[in-house]
Amino acid sequence: MPAYSPGAPLPFGGPSGGPPLEVWQVSKTYGTVQALTDVSFAVPRGQIVGLLGPNGAGKSTTMKAVLGLIRPDGGTIRVFGREVHTDPVATKREIGYVPEAPSLYEFLTGAEYLDFVADMYGLPSAVRQERIPQFLAGLELAGHENSLISGYSQGMKQKVALISALLHRPRLLVLDEPLNGLDPRSARVVKDLLRNLATSEGVGVLFSTHVLEIAQAICDQVVILSHGSVLAMDTVGALQARAGLAGSGLEDVFLALTGTGDLSEVVSALSR
Amino acid sequence: MNLHRVRRLASVLVASQLRSGRSTSDPKSFLGHPALIGVLDAVLGLLAFSLADFGLSAAAPPSSLLDPLVHAILPYLPTIAVAAVLVAGVMFELTSTTKFSGSDSANWLPITPREYVAASSAAVAYTYSPAMALFLGGMLPFALATGTGAVWAAALVLSIAALFEGAFVVEMVRSVTQRMSAVTAGRRGHVALLLRAVLIVVIIVAFQFAFNPVLLFGLLQHAALLDVVTAVVPLFWSTQALTDWLNGSVALGLVFSAAQIVFVGLLLVLAARLRTKYWLVASSEVQLSAVEYAAGHPALRAIGLSREEAALASKDLKGYLRRRELLPMLVIPIVLILIVVLEGGTIGGLVAIVWIGWVAGFFSLLLALSSVGQERRALQSLYAFPITARNLLRAKAASVLIPSLIGAVGTSVVVGFLFRFSAAAVLEIAVLNIGAAVVLGFWGLVFAGRFSDFQERPRPQYLRPAAMLGAMGSGMILVFAIVVPGGVAILSPVLNDLGLVAWTAGSIVVLGALAVLWARSGFDRMLRELPF
Repeated sequence: MPAYSPGAPLPFGGPSGGPPLEVWQVSKTYGTVQALTDVSFAVPRGQIVGLLGPNGAGKSTTMKAVLGLIRPDGGTIRVFGREVHTDPVATKREIGYVPEAPSLYEFLTGAEYLDFVADMYGLPSAVRQERIPQFLAGLELAGHENSLISGYSQGMKQKVALISALLHRPRLLVLDEPLNGLDPRSARVVKDLLRNLATSEGVGVLFSTHVLEIAQAICDQVVILSHGSVLAMDTVGALQARAGLAGSGLEDVFLALTGTGDLSEVVSALSR
Repeated sequence: MNLHRVRRLASVLVASQLRSGRSTSDPKSFLGHPALIGVLDAVLGLLAFSLADFGLSAAAPPSSLLDPLVHAILPYLPTIAVAAVLVAGVMFELTSTTKFSGSDSANWLPITPREYVAASSAAVAYTYSPAMALFLGGMLPFALATGTGAVWAAALVLSIAALFEGAFVVEMVRSVTQRMSAVTAGRRGHVALLLRAVLIVVIIVAFQFAFNPVLLFGLLQHAALLDVVTAVVPLFWSTQALTDWLNGSVALGLVFSAAQIVFVGLLLVLAARLRTKYWLVASSEVQLSAVEYAAGHPALRAIGLSREEAALASKDLKGYLRRRELLPMLVIPIVLILIVVLEGGTIGGLVAIVWIGWVAGFFSLLLALSSVGQERRALQSLYAFPITARNLLRAKAASVLIPSLIGAVGTSVVVGFLFRFSAAAVLEIAVLNIGAAVVLGFWGLVFAGRFSDFQERPRPQYLRPAAMLGAMGSGMILVFAIVVPGGVAILSPVLNDLGLVAWTAGSIVVLGALAVLWARSGFDRMLRELPF
């Protein structure tokens, strides 16, 4: 599927079809702050799309809008061809979501929390008995599942949040900095799992991160947001070429595109 | 102790209490500025003074009426202030989660325990000062009319000391309950969690006994020690001092006043020591037995809840016993019922029925008001789950009504036994209490769906303060509209007093139906957009 460019019309499909996610000219204002301005992009089936941008660029707001957690002032968001706000419950069944700072119910054990999540998605007992231990073992949480979450480290909490997003086998994953706090092995497991889900299951993944090496390694396309607007959207290679930095890392491309390339003055001022 | 640091920290803590609601609200608004409370003090004090002064001028009562009135009210204001701050503190000041208090910047900034306790107590005392301003403002014209203006000034000073006394006790409860929540660390099983819950409830009830004049009077009455109470128990030294002053014993009044101030200072030292010793910021780590990963909750499904609703309700019910910040909720009905038990010999049957009906409704209201706000930031996960507003409302109603109805029936049986009511009367009282609990539960959900506060702050609240006041005020009117006629009907010598029974039943049905409808519309609106 070709990359979308801002302003290009989106090929909206019917209610049963369409790509996992289409975001079209979405705007959102908080009081006097314009959080999003005409944001447009899509997540095609089987692709991982990285959502990048400086702090406060609008990444989390975009993700919340995709989930229907906030209502855009304008624009359209479709998940598999269905507008998010027309049937939010059906839409949420299709999505697995990890928020930027997951707040779990800390008075439950990890196992109780995952059982609770399974109830929310209506997973039958046989399915959860098969999947939950698999995920726990894969992310090295087995043996900790019967402890209260309040005693977990931040990385362990992040793993529980990731498992709860993957448990019901969603067709679209919306992951806001999902690798925060994970140890290298678990981060690798998650990256490989996402790649595998996208390639073999056709899952669409919208993935935000500040670690640009990760984005470069696993994303098929990246969307760069700045001040609530889409600054660029393409494959990493195409963006490198566009920034005239072919062969450079995504970090250099990102800094060049967001206009924060020369940081030497800042560093020297802070070092004084 | 660095007073500048104490003042700055207290100011931040007060602002944290005032700035509830949406994170986008204007931080520069005067409504979020600590000076607002000072202005409220002045306005309420002046208003109460003007109204009382106008009433006095219009009625011109003789001094034979005024003197006993001043003697009956003025000396007790400081004592009542301590209990009021403690009750309010238990309800609203101990609601910070371990997760938040563990990462609170006060833990890693260079602030000593004594400075923290002083600042936190000053914030609590200042927050509750408008109520004191109202009472003292209202009493001033009476004091001036009886020539006891100097005693009023002493009452003002002792009332301020009393606000701090209550606040220091709240700080002590905060530290001790924090310690209690860690006693289960590393232990196994549900028994460990239950033990923690019981310990925390017992600790709070014990503090309530020690610093609540009504409970203390009741207890001392039972122990036949009432005669020596005001001279020996520090809680009553302010009352003793003001009574002595009113009776012309200036020297004795000074002695008790000084003793009271010294006692408040000692409480500061004790509260600071408790914080130093017991303030543990680590979360407790408890191992529970393995779950089966089965779609369960058969008991909750049996009452008609869907799988999602049963899971949500079950999660909330576990929270009541496992969350340190929710446990104080369970203390309120225990203390209120203890008052009836201790005063059992001196109050009439109707008062007892109305009182426990009020407790049943009040408990249900409190649980409902906190039911949505206690989700805190985890609300974001709820919004991401495929559930409807109807699912959420039914789950919240179940998690509020199950403990409320158990409490309503339990207290009916206790009071029935104490007052030797017939089995039929106990059944009628239970039905009345259930009605009050259901109506007030849904009434609380009306407010919870609209005005909940989800922010994690040093002084978190489950509901925005103005909404809390509105819910409490309107809830009290509703509960009395139900339990007073109901109580009269139960005790009426005319069996089956149809008019009162019909009024009570009609009130329950109509008010309950309205509350359900309004709660549903509130939840519909709430689920439209994440409030933070």
